[in-house]
Amino acid sequence: MISIQNVSKHYGTFQVLTDCSTEVNKGEVIVVCGPSGSGKSTLIKCVNGLEPFQSGTITVDGVSVGDPKTNLSKLRSRVGMVFQHFELFPHMSITDNLTIAQVKVLGRSKDEATDKGLKLLDRVGLKAHAAKFPGQLSGGQQQRVAIARALAMDPICMLFDEPTSALDPEMINEVLDVMVELAQEGMTMMCVTHEMGFARKVANRIVFMDQGQIVEDDAKDAFFGNPRSERARQFLAKILTH
Amino acid sequence: MGYQWNWSIFGSTVPTGETTYLVWLLSGLQTTILLSLSAWLLALALGSLTGVLRTVPSKPLSTLASAYVELFRNIPLLVQLFIWYFVLPEILPFGLGDAFKQQLSPLTQQFLSAMLCLAFFTSARVAEQVRAGINALPRGQRAAGLALGFTLPQTYRHVLLPMAFRLIVPPLTSECLNIFKNSAVCSTIGLLELAAQGRQLVDYTAQPYESFIAITLLYLVINVVVMGLMRIVEARARVPGYLGSK
Repeated sequence: MISIQNVSKHYGTFQVLTDCSTEVNKGEVIVVCGPSGSGKSTLIKCVNGLEPFQSGTITVDGVSVGDPKTNLSKLRSRVGMVFQHFELFPHMSITDNLTIAQVKVLGRSKDEATDKGLKLLDRVGLKAHAAKFPGQLSGGQQQRVAIARALAMDPICMLFDEPTSALDPEMINEVLDVMVELAQEGMTMMCVTHEMGFARKVANRIVFMDQGQIVEDDAKDAFFGNPRSERARQFLAKILTH
Repeated sequence: MGYQWNWSIFGSTVPTGETTYLVWLLSGLQTTILLSLSAWLLALALGSLTGVLRTVPSKPLSTLASAYVELFRNIPLLVQLFIWYFVLPEILPFGLGDAFKQQLSPLTQQFLSAMLCLAFFTSARVAEQVRAGINALPRGQRAAGLALGFTLPQTYRHVLLPMAFRLIVPPLTSECLNIFKNSAVCSTIGLLELAAQGRQLVDYTAQPYESFIAITLLYLVINVVVMGLMRIVEARARVPGYLGSK
């Protein structure tokens, strides 16, 4: 589904990604983790072309992201993305947030889009808030709406860029529950997150990054049981002690 | 002081006899409003376009837009007005300048030059505010629009501009007030707008205090109305749960 081959990226002389390669197969859940500044957010943004990269190739469902001839808008409309700061559109009601891209990008009718949007809103448990505006919801609620908004486009895979990092501890679980459910339904997911409980529960593989490189790319049990690199061992020791 | 106040001058007839001084003032008011409003609409359109171009991820386009802003922002308004009115018609190619001078009435020439001058001058300032409004939005908003499959123009249209314009209503109000006040400069090319009519009244009636008090009050009324209208715009565009709303 997603194939990342030897991707490198630099801003001026600063190397952000160095020779990164990994795969996400259909129905797989991959968790990308690592210390801050390790390039994990940049990597996931390269997958739908939000960040350009200088060398290597990324293909999503057979379409090359870096190819200048690729219709990026079309590709992005098939790849759901959830952001750290939710990024709902504050001037639109929740319903409009859920429907606008369906109507403007996919060309669905207003009624069809509303139907779909409200069904997904119900699924994330927020049907009662359809007429509200994003500023009137809590962070956790906003993030669930953001997930529903991405799902409304019927994506072939979902990218999560630290979806719980900006949330109060009490709200993290309501978002993770939605993500776990999604994973169990077989959605292809690439998640940048530090939620190791989530990773243990649903991830197929863990990609560990440090200083712009993929240091470890292992099955979940191997990664948690016996990480091969010293850097990953240190990282796990630090985040799992509490 | 020995000044003879005489408020009845506004009702007395002008030397040519066909009307009163009050009508002169009101026709000046009308010109000021027409001139400023048309210039404001053009400034808003040009400024929005230029402001947007300053924020697009294209070096040539944003450089071009910056050059535009610096050009119109860094030359005094009066000098720009003289260029539009006295210089441009002489150097316009393809007979356009001659057409301007020969086929348009002097009044239309003055009005057009003044309108374009005010519009371009103000558009540079509007552009700066539009740019600031867009840059004040969280960076992720652009990414979120693009990630949903919106093209860049769609992202501006549906995601960035609706919020950016809401943010800049207060500074745009100041610009709108400014364009009405700046329009007084256009009396220097002979356009009979409010300030020019006021001066004409002084010349004819020798009652400077009454004349200037009258035009002062009229400018004040215009700007109070503009502020009131912009308040309504601001209240209507308010986003629930966001920035200073309930």
